[in-house]
Amino acid sequence: MNGAQHILDAFHRHNISTVFGYPGGCIMPLYDALVDDVGVEHVLCRHEQACALAADGYARASGKLGVCIATSGPGATNLITGVANAHRDSIPMLVITGQVPSGLIGTDAFQETDVLGMTLGIVKHSYLVDDADSLPAIMEEAMELAQSGRPGPVWIDIPKDLLLADVSDTPFPRSEPREVSSPDLTEALTMLRAARKPILYSGGGISLAHAEDRFRTFAESASLPAVVTLKGIGNPGKHNPYNLGMLGMHGSRAANKAVDECDLLLVIGARLDDRATGKLDGFAPNAKMIHIDADAAEINKLRPTELAIRGDLNGILEALTNALQDKPLDIGDWQKQCRTWYTTGGFHAADNEEPLAPITGPAFVRQLSRIAPDNTVIACDVGQHQMWVAQHYDFDHPRHHLTSGGLGTMGYGLPAAIGAQFADRKSTVINVTGDGSFMMNAQELATIRRYNLPVKLIVMDNQCLGMVRQQQELFYGNRESQINLDDNPDFVAMARAFDIPALHINRTDQIRRGIETILAYNGPMLLHVAISREDNVWPIVKPGASNREMIDETRRTNKKEHVA
Amino acid sequence: MKPQSQPSTPNYKISCRMSQEAAALERLCQVIRIRGFRIATMAVESAGEHLDITLTLEGTRPIAMLQSQLEKLHTVAEVALGQVSGVRVQTA
Ligand SMILES: Cc1ncc(C[n+]2csc(CCOP(=O)(O)OP(=O)(O)O)c2C)c(N)n1
Repeated sequence: MNGAQHILDAFHRHNISTVFGYPGGCIMPLYDALVDDVGVEHVLCRHEQACALAADGYARASGKLGVCIATSGPGATNLITGVANAHRDSIPMLVITGQVPSGLIGTDAFQETDVLGMTLGIVKHSYLVDDADSLPAIMEEAMELAQSGRPGPVWIDIPKDLLLADVSDTPFPRSEPREVSSPDLTEALTMLRAARKPILYSGGGISLAHAEDRFRTFAESASLPAVVTLKGIGNPGKHNPYNLGMLGMHGSRAANKAVDECDLLLVIGARLDDRATGKLDGFAPNAKMIHIDADAAEINKLRPTELAIRGDLNGILEALTNALQDKPLDIGDWQKQCRTWYTTGGFHAADNEEPLAPITGPAFVRQLSRIAPDNTVIACDVGQHQMWVAQHYDFDHPRHHLTSGGLGTMGYGLPAAIGAQFADRKSTVINVTGDGSFMMNAQELATIRRYNLPVKLIVMDNQCLGMVRQQQELFYGNRESQINLDDNPDFVAMARAFDIPALHINRTDQIRRGIETILAYNGPMLLHVAISREDNVWPIVKPGASNREMIDETRRTNKKEHVA
Repeated sequence: MKPQSQPSTPNYKISCRMSQEAAALERLCQVIRIRGFRIATMAVESAGEHLDITLTLEGTRPIAMLQSQLEKLHTVAEVALGQVSGVRVQTA
């Protein structure tokens, strides 16, 4: 067995059935081995960045390891944004790149780049294989590392000659399942019981730990008012009456208010990102904190915590649930207060029902949320549309919401949707994108067509880089700079050029039919939604300001004109 | 030039044991830099399968934060905070 065959063999043993990649010179031995392989489906995207982002979407939607493959040099550098994206959101990913033959490393050979050096800051770990016999152990270790503890991308760079070299069949070390010690929760329970105004604050760590069910049971049975980060959306479930929604820069008034007033923050699987906390000085000023996380380095990183518990979230949540079931928390007044805030400051403003009015982002997303079937996966891009989805779509599970949180990668949504569709060929997958983001990986329409993926594409077209325009308007004296996209291509014609049918809507009374049409269509379809250039995401906290200083809609005085 | 009254940047002695691998030192130095510290001195000794690295670092952020980030590196076996002669080691 040569190195390339060994890699495929390792995929088989680990039930890796789908990989995303793009061939080229130094990785050709692996592509040659693929010819004879039946167990692994290789998905050819049209850009390596999309391979990495699709692997990320696949991992997020399925909870499994995402795998992407590229050649040396430009193949590897093209992967970088996607790998950085996975790194910032702790997504389990295995990256495999070909490298120039061992003897040529350091000679400025054709398509040589120092991949190991260049990627140090965006990987959980990385290897440059220097001996074919070390490959089996490296493959095992890499797959284990990518998925254990705090997950993340692990990159293996393999010189071409080692892909071709014989790999001895040395037995590789099998990792023993680690024992999970159950941490002492006495102090946490004492703090919870002493609190009058506790808040449950959860993030992406819940699904990373595969603790979605346990979290939900805990949140429901404890009846703790709950806020979520962008990546924690869906954690409490959409029917949880104490779910206050997302906090932070574009969070709900209710969520930010509750955090501002609370006397205890129970933070689970979240890292207190600046987009969530706002200015740290003003964040939850009256609260003690209990921080539960898998990553010790997150404890005390940004805010000193009164109590830290590091460990497996599943075990901890189960123990907390049991303890509180025996003796529930006595926080009735606080629950009522939070409910009141939610009624007045949650994301459920009345839709603009004026049938001939132009479409607004929030009104569109709310209808989408009502019409799309349960278990629909929404893969967002980055910008205003991403925030409207986070605010106005009722997610019932964190794996239904794929969003680029830490890196904020425009161009994420389309490849992520492709990955999610490969994770479950039967699920409804919708990419909600903006006209700017869509053009960052629009070549992937070809991938959708090639594999006949029934991905639905919704382009919310405001003819500009809306999120940037909004901040220029509010924080830079309305001096617009390089945000105009009014010369966009005709997106409907563009989709059709890829043999994907498309539909255009621009009036509120067309929303329902538009959404129903693309959902009913048996195959991929694009919905082009024209929205106003001037619409903003509300509320907003100025970057660097405290979450207490939320700015609400201020300039909505001029009456909307009707569109014909 | 720094005015006399300004307190000097805290400095720390830190020693680290890593497994030998191609990018060991780069990995270490990169984390030190990105987490806000400057390397004042650095000594490296190869000991079989391991590298023993002793550093003096300067920086205003809590050193415990750097320690926990270094401990996360897969190839780092151990990180110990030591004493810089004459200066009390500060921990966060
Ligand atoms: C790759 C990348 N480049 C630049 C940015 C900065 N950025 C954030 S949002 C945004 C505008 C996005 O425009 P669009 O996709 O049309 O969405 P909209 O905000 O209009 O809904 C930009 C340029 C980014 N996040 N990612």
